[in-house]
Amino acid sequence: MKTSNTLLITRSILKLVKQPTAPVLGFIMSLFFLIVYNAGIGGIGYLDAFGEKGYLAFIFPITIISLAMGSSSGAGQTLYADMQSGYFRRMYLSPASRRMLVLAPMLADTLSSVFLTGMLLAIGVLFGLPFQFGLLSASGVLLLSMLWAITLCGFSAGVMLRTGKHQSAAIITNAVFPLLFLSTTFLPRELIISQWLISVSWANPVTYVLEANRYLLGGTASRELFLLGLLILTVTALTSSVFAFNSAGRIKV
Amino acid sequence: MAPEIFFKNISKKYPSGTEALKGVNLEVNKGELFSLLGPNGAGKSTLVKIATTLIKKDSGEFLIGERNPDHDPKSIRQYIGVALQDNELDPSENAESLLRFQGRLFGLSKAQAMQRADELIHTFEIDAERTKKSHTLSGGNKRRLHCALALVHKPRLLFLDEPTTGMDPEARDRFWQTISRLNKKEGVTVFLTTQYLEEADKHATQMAMIMEGAIRYVGSVKNFKQRVNAEKHGTLEESYLAYVKQTQEHEAMFV
Repeated sequence: MKTSNTLLITRSILKLVKQPTAPVLGFIMSLFFLIVYNAGIGGIGYLDAFGEKGYLAFIFPITIISLAMGSSSGAGQTLYADMQSGYFRRMYLSPASRRMLVLAPMLADTLSSVFLTGMLLAIGVLFGLPFQFGLLSASGVLLLSMLWAITLCGFSAGVMLRTGKHQSAAIITNAVFPLLFLSTTFLPRELIISQWLISVSWANPVTYVLEANRYLLGGTASRELFLLGLLILTVTALTSSVFAFNSAGRIKV
Repeated sequence: MAPEIFFKNISKKYPSGTEALKGVNLEVNKGELFSLLGPNGAGKSTLVKIATTLIKKDSGEFLIGERNPDHDPKSIRQYIGVALQDNELDPSENAESLLRFQGRLFGLSKAQAMQRADELIHTFEIDAERTKKSHTLSGGNKRRLHCALALVHKPRLLFLDEPTTGMDPEARDRFWQTISRLNKKEGVTVFLTTQYLEEADKHATQMAMIMEGAIRYVGSVKNFKQRVNAEKHGTLEESYLAYVKQTQEHEAMFV
């Protein structure tokens, strides 16, 4: 990798390490979800609809989703801070790749999200989290987490670059939040009473992220849903990255 | 010898509708200390932004150090050094780390970047500030660090847009000693825009006058002063003010 690319990525990671508020809050929020939901309504895991692996395997994917939601604004905020100080323009005037100026904070966010997902998985193991395919499942969850993180931080960075407002870096979190409640987040489809909610959940991409993870953990979703989830996340991650790169060309310098 | 800066019919219109540049033609030779003068909003900063590849022209052609921005903008950025109006400093980093990082971004090895940082810290007399975070520096020291960053990779062409704004007279004097040495001894071409016309008067040999997006005069500073104030031996500032007034009066006759 070119030296300037390595430098920019290292700088973004160090920035995140020095100011870890967003990922740490995301992690705490996820841990909170995991503990509270498992303790509060974990008992319904004995119902047949949850399979044999219980409620923990079912609810765990929500912690991964909320983790990236909490930390996805980091890239946008790093870019905003650099633009506010004028330092972004200095880097923009260097021979370094201008796309890497946008990609580096996104990569830092994604790495942080994958690392923290690994920590959540380790905590999950302590709680008795099952892995349908052993280490392969853990790797799959990390891959899905990476694609989800790229999706969120790419859109977050792109929106911030286009609007120039740091508040907009968190707009993606706010946009995704309602989708959590319009999905099979807390209950499988078999236990959802409302027909309209079931219909909406089919059209909600978050559903497929959840189900793909559930296939890997408790095995309560089908292989087809996993593949569909993987495909959807790959497409959204690519779209988000292209959106962020194109936004780099619209920066007012 | 090919000019160091070559602009041919450069135009730029902003989305707001403002026509910032209207077919600018300009050449700057290697080794010159060239000053671009003009009132606020005349198009000086837009021209500098285009030349430094910060923004794109709408039409026309230009070459920087014989490099074409349409084909190889990165090589232009490697070739030039830029200090624009606003300080561009990461507030959470100190002077030394900023200079080293800048050197590394421009392809210097770790050892070279460290050595160059030491040289510039010494040249710009910010030794006492080297480990202080940039947001804690005084306005003048921020400005010095900002200018030092433009020189890390030893550029052959330097764009200075209002470089001494915020510096005290002593710091300005030291800054100009450094720039003059680079220009005279190392042959670095300097393209300057400044509101301090006494600086242009003292240091620039060639100049251009831009008004309303068009170049109105190109030539030596001496000729400009003679042309505007033939009888008097005034300063560049006096000549500049007289020229702007004459031009505005002349244009008012045709409105």
